[in-house]
Amino acid sequence: MSHFSWLVDGSIVGLYLLGTMVAGLWVRKYVHRVEDFLVAGREMNLYLGIASLAATEFGIITCMYTAQAGYTQGFAGATPGLCQAAAMFVIGVTGFCVKPLRASGAMTLPELFEKRFGQRIRWLSGVVIVLGGLLNMGVFLKIGGDFLCAVCGFDPAYLTLMMGALLLMVCIYTIMGGMLSVLVTDFLQFVVMSVGLLVVTVMILWQVGWDRLVDAVQVHHGEGGFNPLANPTMGWSFLIFQILGNTAATLTWQTTIARLLSAKDAETGQRIYSRTSFFFVCRWMIPGLWGIAALAMLPAGAVGGDTLAAMPKFLSTFLPIGLMGLLVAAMLAADMSTDSSYMLSWGSVIYNDILAPFRKSKWTDRRAIRWNRCIVALIGVYLFVFGLLYKIEGNIWSYLLLTGSIYLSSMSVLLVSCCYWKRANNWGAMGAILLGAVVPMLHLTLEKIPSTAEWAASIGKDVPGIAAFVAAALGMIVGSLIKPKETSAP
Amino acid sequence: MSTFWHILIWACVIWYSTITIYVAVRGAFDIRSMLGRLRDGENKREEES
Repeated sequence: MSHFSWLVDGSIVGLYLLGTMVAGLWVRKYVHRVEDFLVAGREMNLYLGIASLAATEFGIITCMYTAQAGYTQGFAGATPGLCQAAAMFVIGVTGFCVKPLRASGAMTLPELFEKRFGQRIRWLSGVVIVLGGLLNMGVFLKIGGDFLCAVCGFDPAYLTLMMGALLLMVCIYTIMGGMLSVLVTDFLQFVVMSVGLLVVTVMILWQVGWDRLVDAVQVHHGEGGFNPLANPTMGWSFLIFQILGNTAATLTWQTTIARLLSAKDAETGQRIYSRTSFFFVCRWMIPGLWGIAALAMLPAGAVGGDTLAAMPKFLSTFLPIGLMGLLVAAMLAADMSTDSSYMLSWGSVIYNDILAPFRKSKWTDRRAIRWNRCIVALIGVYLFVFGLLYKIEGNIWSYLLLTGSIYLSSMSVLLVSCCYWKRANNWGAMGAILLGAVVPMLHLTLEKIPSTAEWAASIGKDVPGIAAFVAAALGMIVGSLIKPKETSAP
Repeated sequence: MSTFWHILIWACVIWYSTITIYVAVRGAFDIRSMLGRLRDGENKREEES
């Protein structure tokens, strides 16, 4: 029986929702140009950028898959967070790729690629980014609804209603205020989310105790629960894919680089990266600890095969009234900030890059903003429908990284080549995009075909993920080298 | 190996608590100045047109 009280916890959640909606709608009066809608007029400062990036990159989905990793892999499950933090810090300090990207003045990655590889590559990059991003994001809403149902003890029959209500609120302020509303609500959501995360974590450390957590990992996972290389479900292929995937995500993940591109200059963007880097360790360690606490506290057989439900099941009876409200408000904050940023980010690519060839003359700001609002609304409809229809299988993080690889592999290769390889050209870019997308899409398809599902599952998601990066790099190198050199006119 | 994770979890709790307080204060000022600059920019454009 969940400890959620409608009177006390419901009031806390209601107060948070009211504050967010008021703040999100209040700033819409500052939206006058399409730049204000998409990149907040490029006026974002350092601390707002840190809050926004942290809030965006932590949703209920994050909490669920990192807790699942803690439950199924112990402390070693936090390895992807260490990889991402290292990538973010190094890129932030050195400015590798992100410095020339911000200096170019582009609003999206494909816009930068057009300058080097031509309009066709810009369009194709936009399609691949949106395809990978939307497939990735499609599961967010359902997982969020599952979490809330489990923690609050609601009947799963209300899942659709909860998903719809959550999405509607996010859509309203994102459609009205674009990036400005997203930034301001992200800030509020960062504060609420962080307080909730910290209070629950300290309470687990205090009440469950470190020794019991370590014992649970030792009993269930042995040495593999502490060392990823000793874990039979991880190993070297897992580690290599995490390093590649997380570095590529830092360089090209649209919601991450949207913060870089909204920063007032390249230096601010780099500082946002380096100073937010350790957050990515917390992002895996904190909910991972919640998953380990579920492993230590729940009786054997309470979870069955549904390891994703372990953490919410544990928290629903562990937290007292009052703290339940704080947890639900924190998780709603996390989810809403992620959904709004993701909708706006993919929407900006659809408007800026995929629709670019259809805009023969420059659109007025009013018309451009209207189109952007329609695109965000359509993404909302897609999220709702996809969330209801798609059934996710296995480890969620692996699914997310593999669907992300559809574009992470090729876009990171294009970005590095665009910035640092003089011989890179449109043939190479085309080869990288096609080969980088084919491998993960093929694997996702084979997983769904009954006759090949078992074989695809036996390979796992790490090898196809690494193969996507190798294929994209080969596509770029071979394509660029075989294109005949253009001869200059005499 | 568990000592490494023990240190890391406490580093996370301490770092995250500090950052939350610091960013909450400085971020509020950032929002104020961002909205101020956007308002000034719009006023300037209106005057020019």
